[in-house]
Amino acid sequence: MNLLKNRRFTFYFMFSLLGLIFLVRIFSLQVLDEGNYKKAVNNALKKITIYPSRGIIYDRHGNLLVYNGPVYDLIVFPGALKGLDTAGICALLRMDRKEFDKRLEQARVKAKTQRRRDNSFNRSATFLSNLPIADYTRIQENLYRYKGFYLEQKTDRLYGNQAAAHLVGYIGEVTEKMLARDPYYKNGDLAGITGIERGYEKYLRGKKGVRTVLQDRFYTEKGSAEGGKFDSIAMAGPDIFSSIDLSLQQFGEQLLHGRIGSIVAIEPNTGEILALVNKPDYRPDLLIGPNRNKHFQELIRDQGKPLYNRAIRGVYPPGSTFKPVIALIGRQEQVLTPATTHGCAGGYRMGNLTVGCHPHGSPINLAQSLAISCNAYYCEVFRDIIDNPKYNSVRDGWTKMESYLNSFGLGTKMGIDIPGEVAGNIPSLAYLDKRHGKKWRSSTIISLAIGQGEILLTPLQMANVAAIIANRGYFYTPHAIHGIGPEKFKPEAFLVRHRVMVDTLYFESVIEGMADVMVPGGTAWNAAIPSLTICGKTGTSQNPHGEDHSLFIGFAPRNNPKIAIAVVVENAGYGATWAAPIATLMMEHFLKAEHEPSKAPHLLKKLLIMPGQNANNTQPKNP
Amino acid sequence: MPTTRNQKTLSPKLDFTSVLLFTLLVFFGFLNIYSASSGGQSGFSLQVNQVATKQLIWMTGAFLLIILVTFSNPNFFEFTGYLFYGITVLLCLAVLLVGREVSGAKSWFGFAGIGIQPSEFAKFGTSLALAKFLGTYGVRFKGWKNIGISLAIFLLPMAIVLKQNDTGSALVFFSFFLVLYREGLPGYVLLAAIWLMILAVLSIVLLAYQLSLIYWILVPLSGIALVFLYLFRKSRFWMAVTVGLVLASWGFTKIVSFTYKNVLYDYQRDRIEIILNLKKDDKGVGFNLIQSKIAIGAGRWTGRGFMEGTQTKMGFVPEQHTDFIFCTIGEEWGFIGVLLFLSVYFGLLFRLVLLAERQTTNFARVFGYSVISILFFHLCINIGMTIGLVPIIGIPLPFVSFGGSSLWAFTLLLFTFLKLDERRLSYA
Repeated sequence: MNLLKNRRFTFYFMFSLLGLIFLVRIFSLQVLDEGNYKKAVNNALKKITIYPSRGIIYDRHGNLLVYNGPVYDLIVFPGALKGLDTAGICALLRMDRKEFDKRLEQARVKAKTQRRRDNSFNRSATFLSNLPIADYTRIQENLYRYKGFYLEQKTDRLYGNQAAAHLVGYIGEVTEKMLARDPYYKNGDLAGITGIERGYEKYLRGKKGVRTVLQDRFYTEKGSAEGGKFDSIAMAGPDIFSSIDLSLQQFGEQLLHGRIGSIVAIEPNTGEILALVNKPDYRPDLLIGPNRNKHFQELIRDQGKPLYNRAIRGVYPPGSTFKPVIALIGRQEQVLTPATTHGCAGGYRMGNLTVGCHPHGSPINLAQSLAISCNAYYCEVFRDIIDNPKYNSVRDGWTKMESYLNSFGLGTKMGIDIPGEVAGNIPSLAYLDKRHGKKWRSSTIISLAIGQGEILLTPLQMANVAAIIANRGYFYTPHAIHGIGPEKFKPEAFLVRHRVMVDTLYFESVIEGMADVMVPGGTAWNAAIPSLTICGKTGTSQNPHGEDHSLFIGFAPRNNPKIAIAVVVENAGYGATWAAPIATLMMEHFLKAEHEPSKAPHLLKKLLIMPGQNANNTQPKNP
Repeated sequence: MPTTRNQKTLSPKLDFTSVLLFTLLVFFGFLNIYSASSGGQSGFSLQVNQVATKQLIWMTGAFLLIILVTFSNPNFFEFTGYLFYGITVLLCLAVLLVGREVSGAKSWFGFAGIGIQPSEFAKFGTSLALAKFLGTYGVRFKGWKNIGISLAIFLLPMAIVLKQNDTGSALVFFSFFLVLYREGLPGYVLLAAIWLMILAVLSIVLLAYQLSLIYWILVPLSGIALVFLYLFRKSRFWMAVTVGLVLASWGFTKIVSFTYKNVLYDYQRDRIEIILNLKKDDKGVGFNLIQSKIAIGAGRWTGRGFMEGTQTKMGFVPEQHTDFIFCTIGEEWGFIGVLLFLSVYFGLLFRLVLLAERQTTNFARVFGYSVISILFFHLCINIGMTIGLVPIIGIPLPFVSFGGSSLWAFTLLLFTFLKLDERRLSYA
């Protein structure tokens, strides 16, 4: 009996052992494993994003370009759909079963990716996006019947007018790439894709707010978590004042209507872009709303490439508009004075090389050479620069030339604040070697002297050249904004004055010649505007794609210039014919008072009554 | 003798420590039931919390039971031991015929909106019967007849409860083996039970991985047996025992394998495989266990505070106010709270062993050990399942879980024993 009494110790032992096992296990769950706490919090909290309203875009005078209107996203928790009345919700959403299943599967995949990305427990995904307010009211009323679905408000863009499509750009659902790069975004968010919308996305998007609510395991909301301790309010993005002048922009779009080409106008003493016109273009409101994808596909397929931002992506041989640059470099290099004369007998000849020229008096000086756009003169100047004995070889001479051109912002990206800009081309030594073999001489590349050959510029770069000459030797990186927010804040990069390698004192002689372009005897005298001192240079650029491009760069007024401009009209012939009058009318429009009539009604008549041949097939589509 | 009578009337006291620990557990249980069933409501209001209100009614009932037991004659339980047993066994049978099915188990009587689970009371009846049998003068836990009757006393209700499909409650009857152990069941029987448990787990693991039982159990077993046969080469008896053990083990393995493949339900197989880490199913069957572990783990050192446990009050943990009440304790009171709670619980167990050993009658001692063993078994399985040490088996945490039947049955068990303990003085 006593022996059996001792068996109580077995019980004591069992109790102690079990207690110990429990404590060790619970200690490891509660104290050692920190993940459980986080998981519990994640489980019970549902974060509802509050989207801020996106910054509004105005023109430089405060005219409305882009603003916001509400749209709604239908969000689904794919894991909470047990016992869902599928037929009911299909009817509510007005979609058939097949479409519903397809979208649900997509949402499931999206939620899974999100889960993996955030290492979270359960997440939702967008089921339908950008529903207009009419659908919202209909769906919201009945949505309580379908657990696992809820509506989230977002804003979409609306357009004050249909101008400056390429400059303001459009917004769209964030891409996988953006999602991967910036944790701010989640699936289904809208973000700027092009133009100012993209360039200033970080400002315009504002700051998302979060409302954290408790949820049970059926994802049903159970009120605010901890009295709103975790909530943050959404901060609207600041408004942005674009640098464009809406009236000038619209006038430019009118002038270029039916043609193919580009106009870039810059305020020389700030670098602000006053107008950025591309034709063909598109109506910005095609790219909002539930049908944006359909329209986008149509625009992509359009032969006229309406989405193509020629002003910063199109490259053209500058032709004769390049001559002022050669002249300026010649002056700086001391191989050219205003009085330097060269003869021209219908062209430039050297051995069996001939660069043709049109008939004109000979010999001529610098100003005359610009006014009548003599090719031979610039072949001489070009060779004087790069064959200068102070350089050991033509290679060194060209290298020097290249650095001059780079200082004008040519051959490199300018750093404009809207995405997609290209660098154009200023041929490097390597490039020339590849093209002509190692043994090229100045005569081999002589066509570069007149802006032909391997040189390619964007309209933006051409306009910037005009701005540099207007400023007598400096420029600000061209940019599309006048300022951000009420303080009109501007990023530092656009406040830095870039000097070119040509000193101010050499500019006046070139400007003299550019002024002569606009007087009788000059190439563009027929595009002159009475009582306006315009300096300009025409260009007719040969290209392998057909008829010559009509080019013009210029600025006005001559003293204290307010506007510098470049106009490219593709395959339209002489620069003087189309590009020059478009440019001068633009300059007049910008400089004159608003309701003052134009002093050149004959030019207006010519341009507005004789629209380009493309007028019919580039009619803006009605959505 | 008048003096003893006086002594009895002067100190009719139930063991104060046990009553105190019991009271602590019940009220702590109520707090956690209240919190777990608040459904995200804040503030303390019984009007909105019907579960807690019900529990309060059960607690009142339990208090009445305590008064009833306290004022009853302790001999009453000994006299009516078999009667109670008979009644509860009959009730268990009756529930098979007219019972209500709750989550797969037909173990409830439903009347007037209240459910009664006779299997909870069967533990009480069985304890009384076993105590009475082993307490009968001259009966010792020896001889095939007595052993057979002892086993039959608890295996009969166990079979009936198993038939009710209430596997958890049926398993509880195994705890009577511990009582028998205290009363003289040889220690090797317990060792054998542990050995069989190891074999069972091993077999299931092998089956789940589709490995050969012959290679992994029979061959190594035979190898070890050969060594022992060599060591015991001088004793025929031990050589026979060795061979017998190997054969028995192998036979058991085959039984487990058959049971596992052909007898168990899918959900039972799932639960076993999840606990053995053989299967991962976070959204399905494994969801409950994962959420339960997250809930307890979320408590950290000091817990998230009363009514602040989102895991439990937002319904992520299943059966949160009944079988998984320990999750709420873990989540809201933290490791410190759990430590205190387990101290109270194990304190009660130690105290009860002390009381049981000081009993002067076999009846009281056997009954006491029955109470201890049943509580121990429940504690082991219930907390073990919430922290992922044993498969999910739906049995309540005594005194703490929500539910009238279990609270009343355990109150009855404990206070009957305390009443017997009080009587002990009259024999001293």
